Amino acid sequence: MNEQLRAISELDRVIHEPGRLMIVALLGAVKECDFLYLLHETEMNKGNLSSHLARLEEAGYVEIEKTYRGKVPQTLLRLTRAGRVAFDQYRQGLKAAF
Amino acid sequence: MGRPKRYDNIDGTGEMAFGLMALGYTFLNYVQAGLPENSMWRHGFASMLLFFAGLLLMFGLILWVPKAIKKRITWPRTGYVAYRVGGKSWWTAMVAIAAVSVVIAAGFGCLMRFDRQHDWMGLLWMGAAALYAAAYAVWIYRTERHHPWKWLVLLFMALGLLAIALIAPADFVGLWRPMLLFVGLTWLGSGGATLYLYIRHTQPPAPEAE
Repeated sequence: MNEQLRAISELDRVIHEPGRLMIVALLGAVKECDFLYLLHETEMNKGNLSSHLARLEEAGYVEIEKTYRGKVPQTLLRLTRAGRVAFDQYRQGLKAAF
Repeated sequence: MGRPKRYDNIDGTGEMAFGLMALGYTFLNYVQAGLPENSMWRHGFASMLLFFAGLLLMFGLILWVPKAIKKRITWPRTGYVAYRVGGKSWWTAMVAIAAVSVVIAAGFGCLMRFDRQHDWMGLLWMGAAALYAAAYAVWIYRTERHHPWKWLVLLFMALGLLAIALIAPADFVGLWRPMLLFVGLTWLGSGGATLYLYIRHTQPPAPEAE
C-alpha cells in the first residue's frame, strides 16, 4: 500500500464522521462553547448532536460540563488535550493523503 | 476555522465597540478643546490625567456594553462562545496590533508637528481615509459577506470621509475630529442595524434545547 493510501486508512474514524468533524472543527477554534452554539452552527437536531458528543466524550476528545447560567441550565463543551492532538493528527493525515 | 471568529460580530457588538472607541476619543478631544485656555485640565500633567481617566471610562464602556448585549441577547439565542487567549497566533496578533498602534501614534505626533508648516494635510487625510476604507472592505469581504448591505455602509463611509476632507478646514485638528466622529457614528449605526436584524431573525430556543 502506498503512503497516501496508508494515510487515508489511518485517519481517526471517531473524528472522520462528518457530524463529529464539524463539532471538533468548531471546538478546535474556541476555548469553550455551549450546546446551543453547536446546535445553531451545525444545524443538527438535538438528538444527533447529543449522540455525537457522547461518542466524542467516550473517546476522551470532548469534555462536557453541566452548569447553570443564572437559573438556566447550560452545557459547556471543550476539546480535551487528547482531542486537540487527535484533531491535529487528523488534519496532518488528510494533508498527507491529498 | 473562521466561523467562530465571525460569530463574535453576529450581533454587531464588534462594530459597536469600535464605534464607542472612536466616539470616546472624539468626545475626550472635544471636552479638552472646550475647556478655557488657561484651565489646568488643558495643559501638562492634569490634561494627561483627564485624558487617561476618560480612556479608562471609555474602555470600561467598551468592555461592558458588548458583554451585556451578549449576556442578555446573544447567548440565550444562539449560544455562548469563549475564545482562546494565548497561543502563537494570538500573541502574533497582539504584538502586531501594538506595533501598528505605536506607528499610528508616532505618525499622528509627526503630523501634528508638520501641520504648522504644510498645507498638504487634506491630501494626507484623504489617503488615510482611503486606506481605512480599503481595510474596511477587506473586513467585510472576509467576515460579513452574508450581509451585502455592509457594502452600502462602506460606500456611505467613504463618501462621508471624502466630503469631510473637502469641506472641513485642512489642518490636523479640523479634520480628524469630524472624521473620527463620523466613523464612530457610522460604526455604531452599522452595529445597531446588525443587532436589530439579529434580534429580528433569531428567537430564543424552547427551554428544553439545553
